[in-house]
Formats: sequence, structure tokens, C-alpha cells
Amino acid sequence: MSDMLEFTQVSYSYRGDWLNLVHALKEVSFAVPQGCAYGFLGANGAGKSTSIRLTVGLLHGHRGTIRLFGQELSGEDHRLRARVGYLPEQPYFYDNLAVGEYLAWLASLSGMAAARIPAAVDRVCQLLDLGDLKKRSLRSFSKGMRQRFGLAQAIVHEPDLLILDEPFSGLDPLWRARFKEVMSLERRRGATLCFSSHILGDVEELCDRYGVIDHGRVLEQGSLGDLLGQAPLVLTGTGEMPPGAQPGADGMWTLRFADAERERVLAAVPAARIQRLERQRIALEDWFVQRIKATHHAGVKLESRS
Amino acid sequence: MILIVAGATCREAIRSRAFLGLLVIFAVAALLTRVVGWVSATDGNLVSLDLVMSLQSVIGVLVAVATGTVLVQSEIQQKTLYTVLSRPLPRWRFVIGKFLGLAAALVAGQVAMAVIGLTWVWITGASLNPWLILAVAMTCLEVLVMAAVGICLSMLAGPLLSAVLCLAVYALGHSVATLPQLIDHLEGWKRTLAVAAAALIPNLGYFTFRGQAIHGHAMTPGDVATAVGYAGLWIAMLLVVAIAVFRRKQL
Repeated sequence: MSDMLEFTQVSYSYRGDWLNLVHALKEVSFAVPQGCAYGFLGANGAGKSTSIRLTVGLLHGHRGTIRLFGQELSGEDHRLRARVGYLPEQPYFYDNLAVGEYLAWLASLSGMAAARIPAAVDRVCQLLDLGDLKKRSLRSFSKGMRQRFGLAQAIVHEPDLLILDEPFSGLDPLWRARFKEVMSLERRRGATLCFSSHILGDVEELCDRYGVIDHGRVLEQGSLGDLLGQAPLVLTGTGEMPPGAQPGADGMWTLRFADAERERVLAAVPAARIQRLERQRIALEDWFVQRIKATHHAGVKLESRS
Repeated sequence: MILIVAGATCREAIRSRAFLGLLVIFAVAALLTRVVGWVSATDGNLVSLDLVMSLQSVIGVLVAVATGTVLVQSEIQQKTLYTVLSRPLPRWRFVIGKFLGLAAALVAGQVAMAVIGLTWVWITGASLNPWLILAVAMTCLEVLVMAAVGICLSMLAGPLLSAVLCLAVYALGHSVATLPQLIDHLEGWKRTLAVAAAALIPNLGYFTFRGQAIHGHAMTPGDVATAVGYAGLWIAMLLVVAIAVFRRKQL
């Protein structure tokens, strides 16, 4: 499986207030394989948006290599971006253009053939309930409606790589659910998904790979299945308690152990006393907070689990 | 691509409330010029015509400065260009497209003001001549040069400073025509400064044809060609500088 987006040892600095040098990214490496949904996790100012803006060409002057669809990005390489859909964080749009003409305009800027544009605009308007608003200008749009328009403009030209920066911000629960549906539809169409979010439940629900970035460094990345698979197993039984078990209600007990101990534990407990064996559910939110806190206590330690 | 950007920019500008508001202000002011004409001691029709043409030029330049200096800067600050420049659109095409769109809107505004103003003074008794159309075209060139100055300066300074500098360029641009005569009388650093000013500031005197047109005086084809070429050269130079700066900007 080829990588749609690949950062290799990418560093980026800029001059901040009083012209001091701010290191926004420090030798960041990660890859987004074709067809996957990649969740980019990190606190505010961690470097998520900077990575995204380097990818879509809004920032330049990085060190290291960024590859988009297998080709190295250079300053003047604009054509690759025809295959990218991008929703900025807190998107702003021209106020005096109507929804339909705006979408058609952006689709044509992405190089979509003129004959295909009306159908493409209808498709995204239908997906995001913008059909009745096609002739309305964006001046009167609420934050949520702008976010809907933002997703519509990101997918109108049927991109191969969809990059969404905090796509769920400003949405009510109903529209969050609809956004997830649309993102799943885009994946089924064949698009690769890469999005940043603070809402880790959404990442858990949608993504199969993740990367954690903090203070401009990638702390950890890998398969979300593997991460959730690291959670201990929980054996629930009755009768005589094995060593290390915790008593529970109704004469039951529970025993937590790692995958590696599975055979030893199951051999030691008679099958008749076992009620059930299940994996403890990790709350991604708690895991993320602990991960970041541990890093801040121990100092930044690069780690990669691919 | 350039025309796609230009089309959207023009539509956005023409539909803005500020654009319509300025047209209304012009229309009201044009109505009042007739009153000034009636109370003036000289030919009231000529006074009204002169005021309408001057008003059209001043409002046009103010709009060009106000919109030119924020055209790209406001997009950077409001991040509206994120969804545009993340597409396969080179930045130089974006800047040229924005300028052409703004230019189309400004020319449309000039034409609208000319139609409103000239129709009003004609209805109230002033006689018009074909040279007035050429005078309106010359004013359009002046407005376009000032819009390019605004875009260029906005790449180098903030919106407020660039607007102030732009108005300074406008004021100096109308007096720079006198510099060549002045230079002969200067020496040392004063001469160097005058030569530099003459070279760095567009001579807007090339586009001032209102006074002659009102009196029915002709403009030679050579003068027209010089004015068009001069405007084109300045606009091209200013946009090249603007593009060179914008290409390096981190968004």
C-alpha cells in the first residue's frame, strides 16, 4: 500500500513576536497510507495545523521531505493539490458569493471539468443539506453552516486525499453524526482521510491509524487497533480467587493481565470457574492525557510504533 | 485560472454593500453639484460638469486605495484564501486574478458614476461632448494605477500604513509632473531626491484630461497611447513587486 502523504524529518521554524525563532515542527516523520483514515492528535499549538498547512502549500520553507502521492513537494508544484481537499480550522469564506456559485468556482479552480461541476455541486449540496441554500450568500451563515459549506468545498472536486483541520468544531451532535457519515462515504468512494481533532472519541470512531504530536514532535504513531489492543484482558470468574484477583459483587472476582500472560492465567484457572474473558476498554481521552503528561514529565522522548 | 479568480473577485466586490454605498454617495453628491453650479458666478454648467468629473475621480481613487490596500491583506487576515490557495493555483495567478477582478469592478463603478453624473448634468442643461468619454477612460487608468499601488504597498506594510502611503503617492503623483522643471534648479542631495521621487512615483498627470475635455479640447492619439502605455507599465511593475513579496509570504 503506497503512502498518500509522507513527512520525513520535516522541521519548520518561523519568526514570532520580537523576531524570536519559533520551532513549530522538529524532525516530524509520519505517513498516511492510501485508503486509511489517519487521526492527528495533539494539544493546541502542538504542530497539527502547521503540518497541514505545509502539505497544502500555505506555508513553505521547511527542512526535510514532504511527499504527496509519492512525489516530493516543492514550492512551485501546484498540480498535485488538485487531488487534495482541505477544510481549514475555523474556515472563513467570501461573504457575497452564493453557495452554488462558490462551490462551482472552487471546483473549477481545482481543475474539475466544467461539464462535471453542476452534478458535483448538487452531490455535495445534497450530502450536506445545502440544496435549499444554493442561491444564498454566505454572509448570513452561522458557524455550523459555514462548517458544512467548508466540508462541501473540500469534497466537491472528489479529491483523493481529504485533509480536515478540526472538522467537528462548531457542530451540534446531529451534524457531527452527519459529518462522520459523509467522511465514511468519502472513504468508500476511495478517498484517504487525514484529520486533526481534539475530540478523541471521533478519532477512535473514524480512524484506523493515529499520530500524536506535541511541541512540534511526533510522540507516537501507529495503528489504532494496536493501541486499543494494548489494553489488559479482564477475566471474570466465581469460586476460589486466583492470586492477584480482585473480589467483586455476588461472589465474583476479576483478574486483569496482559496478552503475554494469557495462556499461563487460563491454564491456572479451571474452566468451570470462568464466567467471561474480555478486553478492558481504553478511554482514548484518558490515554492521550496521560501520554502527554508523561512526556512532559519525562522530557520529550521520541517513540515510533508503526 | 486567472479569469476564474478575477470573475469571483469582481462579483464579490460589486455585490459588497460598500460598493453600492459609494455609488449612492456619488449620486447624492452629483445632485448637489448642480446647486453649486447655480450659485457660481461663472458658467454654472461647466462648474457642475467639472465637479461631477472630479468627484468621480476622487471617489474612484478612494475606492481603489481602500480596496487595493486590503484586497489581499484582508484575505490573509480573514483566512479566506486558505481554501483558494490550497488548490492548484500558483500565487502569481492569484494576485493577477485579484487585480483584474478589482480592476473590472472599479471600471464598472467608474462607468456607473459617469452615466449617473453625466446624465444628471445633461438633464439639467449642460452640453456634453465626446471627449468627456475619453476623460472618463483616463480616470479609469488613473484608478487602476492607484489600485496597483495599493496592492503593492499592502504587501510591504499593514493596511493603514499602506493606505496612508497610497494617498501620499496620489498627492505626489499629481505634482511629480513639475519635478523635471524643478530638477534643473536643484543640486546635490536635493537633486538626487527629486530624481528618485520622479522615478519612483507614477506621474498621474498623464491621466488628467478632465479640464480639457470639459472645454471640448481634443487629446491627441499620441497622448492617449502614451497614457495607456505608461499606465500598463506601472501596473505591470507594481504587480511584479507584489507577486515577488506575496510568493514568500507564510500564510
